[in-house]
Amino acid sequence: MSNPSRPKTPGRRKRHPSATVLIVGAGFAGLGTAIRLQQAGIRDIVILERAADVGGTWRDNQYPGAACDIPSNLYSYSFDQNPDWSRSFSGSTEIFEYIKAMVERFDLAQYIRFNQNVTDLAYDDQHGLWRASTESGEQFSARAAVMAHGPLSNPSYPDIAGIDRYQGHKIHSAAWDHDYDFRGKKVGVIGTGASAIQIIPELVKDAQKLTVFQRTPAWVMPRPDFETPQWQKQLFRRLPASQSALRKGLYLAHESMALAVIWDSPVTRLAERLGRWHLRHQVRDRWLRRQLTPDYRIGCKRILVSNDYYPALQQPNCKLITWPIARLCENGIRTVEGIEHQFDCIVFATGFDVSHSGTPFPVRGSGGRLLSEDWQRGAQAYKSVNVAGYPNLFLTFGPNSGPGHNSVLVYMESQIDYIVRGVKTILNRNLKSLAVRDSAQQAYNDGIQKRLARTNWNSGCKSWYLTEDGFNATMYPGFASQYARQMKELDLRDYVLTPP
Amino acid sequence: MAKIDLDKMLAKVKATQWSLADIDWDAPGADRITDEQWPRLKEFMADLMWIEHVGARAFAAMAKKAPTDTLRELYSYFHAEEQRHANAEMALMKRWGMLDGDELPEPNINLRLVIEWLDRYSDEMPVYVLGTVVPMLEIALDGALCKFLLDTVDDPVCHQAFEKINDDESRHLGVGFTVMEMQGHGATYTRMVTMAARLMDPRLILGIASYFPLLNKMRDNVVAMGLSEEKLYECMGKFEKIGGRTEDGRRNPWFQIIKLHSRWVVNRDNRLYHTPVDAIVKVTSYIPRRALPAVPSWVRELTYRPTA
Repeated sequence: MSNPSRPKTPGRRKRHPSATVLIVGAGFAGLGTAIRLQQAGIRDIVILERAADVGGTWRDNQYPGAACDIPSNLYSYSFDQNPDWSRSFSGSTEIFEYIKAMVERFDLAQYIRFNQNVTDLAYDDQHGLWRASTESGEQFSARAAVMAHGPLSNPSYPDIAGIDRYQGHKIHSAAWDHDYDFRGKKVGVIGTGASAIQIIPELVKDAQKLTVFQRTPAWVMPRPDFETPQWQKQLFRRLPASQSALRKGLYLAHESMALAVIWDSPVTRLAERLGRWHLRHQVRDRWLRRQLTPDYRIGCKRILVSNDYYPALQQPNCKLITWPIARLCENGIRTVEGIEHQFDCIVFATGFDVSHSGTPFPVRGSGGRLLSEDWQRGAQAYKSVNVAGYPNLFLTFGPNSGPGHNSVLVYMESQIDYIVRGVKTILNRNLKSLAVRDSAQQAYNDGIQKRLARTNWNSGCKSWYLTEDGFNATMYPGFASQYARQMKELDLRDYVLTPP
Repeated sequence: MAKIDLDKMLAKVKATQWSLADIDWDAPGADRITDEQWPRLKEFMADLMWIEHVGARAFAAMAKKAPTDTLRELYSYFHAEEQRHANAEMALMKRWGMLDGDELPEPNINLRLVIEWLDRYSDEMPVYVLGTVVPMLEIALDGALCKFLLDTVDDPVCHQAFEKINDDESRHLGVGFTVMEMQGHGATYTRMVTMAARLMDPRLILGIASYFPLLNKMRDNVVAMGLSEEKLYECMGKFEKIGGRTEDGRRNPWFQIIKLHSRWVVNRDNRLYHTPVDAIVKVTSYIPRRALPAVPSWVRELTYRPTA
């Protein structure tokens, strides 16, 4: 009797007919790409999604308090604006609902194959096709492939001694256990990053005792969060141009923040003052303030926004621990000051396993070359979208496309439109392959790395933006409008066009 | 003591962590403290615990200013380890029935003034000033006091705890002296000018004004407890010997200044130093506790409980 969950051997794989475009991932990026392709008249699309639902990171990150730290009117697609956002910064449930509604509005369900976890993506030089094998033993192929699996999709656990010895309940912020009742429990939270500062104010309401373990304090800025007034929703519905105008205003406001976040400028000092003011305003105790004061330049790591994190830490049932963690033990966490902190549950708000050089599954390009090997010394791409040696392959949120100051969806839209232009070029010119030149990729990256050297991200702190060796393969060193401008044009001189 | 590889030292520090829970604080032997010893030991332990705590705060300040990531992390660990020592010493006090419920023992007034200074100004001090003073305090006070304790107390749990504490301290000193030598490396003139500028910093002058009487006060306490003054001076001599063993070490102006000061302390005939400093010790003893600001909240982090 055969085991149904066992992956089938390649020879026995169920082969699906070739599509025009194959997209890996049905999160914001994958669905956005499908919409724009559809609007360009390309409908022969297959989206492979490893889970049973759409939504990617917003499907997985449903922990208490989960919300976006970019205003919703900017953290949404310009081609699918939502007049009904309930707050200026919406919660993850609402964002998840927006994504699901997008699937319905644009009739995307027809393209999506759920529970198809891609295990291998390989380019067939002979036929000019990308072939994706999945865990369920099926094979999908297409003329072009889009990797939209997202950089923040695999939960990461910290490298702490004894992590497997802990016998109590463990929860990761990106895989929340909604059945666990925190009431009356002693809870430890490891991490004080973007997820943690949203979880902590919620958990402190229920837990008997909440202990927060911090390694590096982050810059926390005030969050201008408010409920959307009814009149605004009506205005946006009746006059969509007013919402576009607000979006534009928010976009420009965020663009100006690049001066504080990306480069070291007088505006950086102002931003640091604001951060320190926020801390002083909310925390009276001098020592606690010292513990929460970052010792790196603002912008070097992700900037957080919260109005209720600092107050939560000062609740009588909450304690901030800044001692280094020595190890985890059966009952809890032992810190270097010699105390064993015992817990019923430990929450790991330790972010995601960001791969700076590898890929989530083997990606084989022309001649069988492996992307993880090509990226061994740090990921590189041309304009963050194409990689030399991997014809007809497009990336969303590829190397050096991350913003530190603006909505990631703004960048994503530029990438998606670039991808659509690329796919249309392949179709209109009936190309077997569209392959970026190695020299073009090299020249592009030389420029990027030169510019990155002058940014705050490369100013000496350790962050997930950098590899262990300090190579920045994550961020784009410029304004969002600069990025959009470079993505406006598909310069065919930088590509090799191969006819069938 | 050879100059050490700080990266290897960090790995070693991480690999040799211990907790209060590793020690059975209820094991037999607590009754070996004699009735005669008990009251003096109570005061002694309180002082010792506070000195560890002061060291902890100094390391916290150094962690903020450390010139490399490795040193920064080492100092963060040392900060926590000094706190662990204070916690362990408090656990011993608890074991010997020296704690009044959950109340923290009171520090003497000179320690209290040093705590106040550390809390206000230590973060502003250059890492090398603290980096030279801390080894002195560790080797002289910590070293002398620990030795005295182990010579006079027969409780096996005390010996077990101090074996671990001393292992930690030897690593702290190893790093401390290496850093002092690092500071001595470079052009003498520049270092002297920088130091002279620092010495004019009123915050540092205040620090010196609280550090001088602390040493004399501790000397008096040590003598009152029955430890010979010479043993304390022997330990201070070690600072001079180890700190000055290399040319780089000797070239560190802060080492020279602390060394000079320790010679003044050791020389009881130096009236020019001891008369005013002893007078300050006396005067400070009249400062009413309520005249001092509330103790900083980091003081409340101390605990004798192995689990929380």
